Amino acid sequence: MNITAELQKIVGGRLSVSPSELYCYSSDASQVKGMPDYVVRPKSTDEVSRIVRLAYENEIPVTARGAGTGLAGGAVPVGGGIVLDMSGMNRVLEIDIDNIQVLVEPGVIQDALNEALKPYGFFFPPNPGSSAMCTIGGMIGYNASGMRCVKYGTTRHYVRDLEVVLADGTVIHTGSKMLKSAAGYDLTQLIVGSEGTLGIVTKASLKIAPLPKTRKLVIASFENAEVAGQAVVKTFSNGVIPSACEILDRVSLKVLKRYDPNLVLPSEGDVILFEVDGTENSAREAAEQIMKVCAPLALSIRLAESEKEMADIWAARKLVGAAVSRLDPTKSRIYVGEDVGVPIKKIPELLKRAQEIAEKFNLPAMKYGHIGDGNLHLALFIDVLNKDEWDRLNQAADLIHRTAIELGGTVSSEHGVGAARAEYMKAQWGPALEVMRAIKKVLDPKGILNPGKLGL
Amino acid sequence: MKNEGRKETEQAKKPDKIKINENEGEKQSFEVDRRSVYRCVQCGTCRSVCPVFDVVGWESANTRGRMLIIKSLLEGMSPSEDMLPSLASCTTCGICAAKCPAGANPPEVVEAARAQLVKCGITTDAQKNLKSTIITYGNSFGETKDRKHWLSETERSKLPEKSDYVYFVGCFDSYRYPEFAKKTFGILQQFGVILLPDEQCCASPLLRTGFKEDAEKVMKHNLEQIRKVGAHTIITSCAGCYTTLKNNYPEELRVISLPEFLAEHLEELNLKKLDLTVTYHDPCHLGRHNKVYDAPRKVIQAISTLKEMKNIKENARCCGGGGGVRTGYPDISLELAKNRLQDVPEGVDYIVTSCPLCVRNLRDAGGNIEVIDIVELVTMAMV
Repeated sequence: MNITAELQKIVGGRLSVSPSELYCYSSDASQVKGMPDYVVRPKSTDEVSRIVRLAYENEIPVTARGAGTGLAGGAVPVGGGIVLDMSGMNRVLEIDIDNIQVLVEPGVIQDALNEALKPYGFFFPPNPGSSAMCTIGGMIGYNASGMRCVKYGTTRHYVRDLEVVLADGTVIHTGSKMLKSAAGYDLTQLIVGSEGTLGIVTKASLKIAPLPKTRKLVIASFENAEVAGQAVVKTFSNGVIPSACEILDRVSLKVLKRYDPNLVLPSEGDVILFEVDGTENSAREAAEQIMKVCAPLALSIRLAESEKEMADIWAARKLVGAAVSRLDPTKSRIYVGEDVGVPIKKIPELLKRAQEIAEKFNLPAMKYGHIGDGNLHLALFIDVLNKDEWDRLNQAADLIHRTAIELGGTVSSEHGVGAARAEYMKAQWGPALEVMRAIKKVLDPKGILNPGKLGL
Repeated sequence: MKNEGRKETEQAKKPDKIKINENEGEKQSFEVDRRSVYRCVQCGTCRSVCPVFDVVGWESANTRGRMLIIKSLLEGMSPSEDMLPSLASCTTCGICAAKCPAGANPPEVVEAARAQLVKCGITTDAQKNLKSTIITYGNSFGETKDRKHWLSETERSKLPEKSDYVYFVGCFDSYRYPEFAKKTFGILQQFGVILLPDEQCCASPLLRTGFKEDAEKVMKHNLEQIRKVGAHTIITSCAGCYTTLKNNYPEELRVISLPEFLAEHLEELNLKKLDLTVTYHDPCHLGRHNKVYDAPRKVIQAISTLKEMKNIKENARCCGGGGGVRTGYPDISLELAKNRLQDVPEGVDYIVTSCPLCVRNLRDAGGNIEVIDIVELVTMAMV
């Protein structure tokens, strides 16, 4: 069968087999590579269903892709085949304020959704650093979260219903507009985080939340990252749940200042940004309590002076991961071992061991992340033209993954497993991985949906 | 698994190596700075701002795609025509560079890669035609009439031959908007500014589209002309000419944009206040590339009320007229202009800008508000 001609019948000119185009779809923001044979940009559920059906009949791998901002190769077609670029299915179909939810296509960009919700006084809380370009479909695939999940939870907490194209092209709905349901397995939650290995999401009903009246930001610096970690544990145990709780070590601070020289950040120590939200009174009380609890441990502690200052700090923080080259133009940040997580109580130990690992392999490191939910983004940076540095980097990443598992944590808190972390799934899950494999087998008997991912 | 097409892509993965990266060092014979290319960590931030991607939708049409293709060239992929729709469709507007967290400078990298493709004989027909037109006629339109046709014979005969200050008219104002040239020169003449005896294209289109060697010949001619009249300062009203004269010609030249000149001489111009509300479109090559944001605003605010567009200064969206895109991909170029018009605020009498390429593209995009050059606004305010 002439697959190119068949795909053309379905999507017309929204098909490419040009080598240059295919190359552009052979990677995401991770180090995983894999050339597709075809890239298609579907516009409707019907088109997706027909493409997947064609792939099923001809046993061709199908990999869904949003904006390709993933950090684990989830959207990289390591087995070749068809890449479904879903970013063109980008309509907000319904804003249903009465039911506090929205119906969207998977290619809607996170920031665009929040822009659309703003006039109604609502927002979709999960906010990865890539919110300006990442798609809702990708966020569902990876169960993405971001800085505010410490209070608001991750993407999975907001998904009510999904329209999913299964491996043979069948279209199902996994939920409804209901707040709750006690009827049957929760297929919605099975699909969230499945990285396109069980089906292709073509529509999503999402719960939304009212925008808080105000936000306040406490900026505290500590002698070292371990003490900072202790301050976080103490804050939580005193009953304060911040809306964001971010650590920025001293290297991250230097990078931030290079990125935006106007930022006023502590000149010494490692910093925690505590954000609280709510009404004016509740936010002020929470901020005061954090300052009181942390003051005995802190080198300095203060409240951000204005909304603009807060906005500038968050904008810079969102992009810090990619900004390492600002510090040293010969170094690039490579996303490996960058997303481990541990129970909150183990954070100080993780920080200590991460630093030891970076030193052991003589790699400059930047430590930042959502410390409030135990998620550390360890940024190792190297000269990409130096092979020895690549070798040391990969060894360090391996050790950091194994350390997280040893501390009872996870190799990925929010970036996903994809192909980059597939080898650790057995160590993290033990016999539970066999259950995942069994589920995969039932839903995708021919193994065409995003093969080579999740260690399946 | 059956994978029709696999064979072709395997071939694409393992091309015959060409001698583009045989020397180890900062600069390769490929003449693209590796460090600059590898600064891109593929985070995709540029997807959110690239105006061409906004219209085209394919990954190859955004900055990350272009950087990936250039990486592939550095790593041994053979240059091919297949790369042109990606590399030739960048307007070099530079918004990706302004937003890149890693500090990459993609327009510079894209221009260097285009030059490499040209060396390998890979160009679009539009590029080739543009080059031969400029080389043959000394202007980008293939015009054969005198570049100073907008002056009467008597005016031409009385032009002074020496001055410290020269008005570099540019192809656009010479041949497409001679009324701008006339008005601009009318103002500048009062300050002793003269014209070059034989100005030619500034070489911007050649440089932007990769014809470096040809560009050097044209630049050499203009430089000789500038030295001949003894000028140390060049004033230009075209953003393309401005960035080229300022950044590609020898540093000894002092280059001033028309808005900067007007802002400096506001008092001497004796302008009256107009009962007009206007908005201002920042040309990419004047604004983002050279940070000339305040001077045009100072001039506008001195004579009218300024109501800003939705995205301004560093965040201004491209009109689609630059980087050879208007010539090579007119449909994409026009869509960019239409998108830019979406940023125009309600209740303005004119859209003012300071680049004839922007004027043309924004005018062609339609809309019900007239697009004018800053010199026209200033002329309206002359007592």
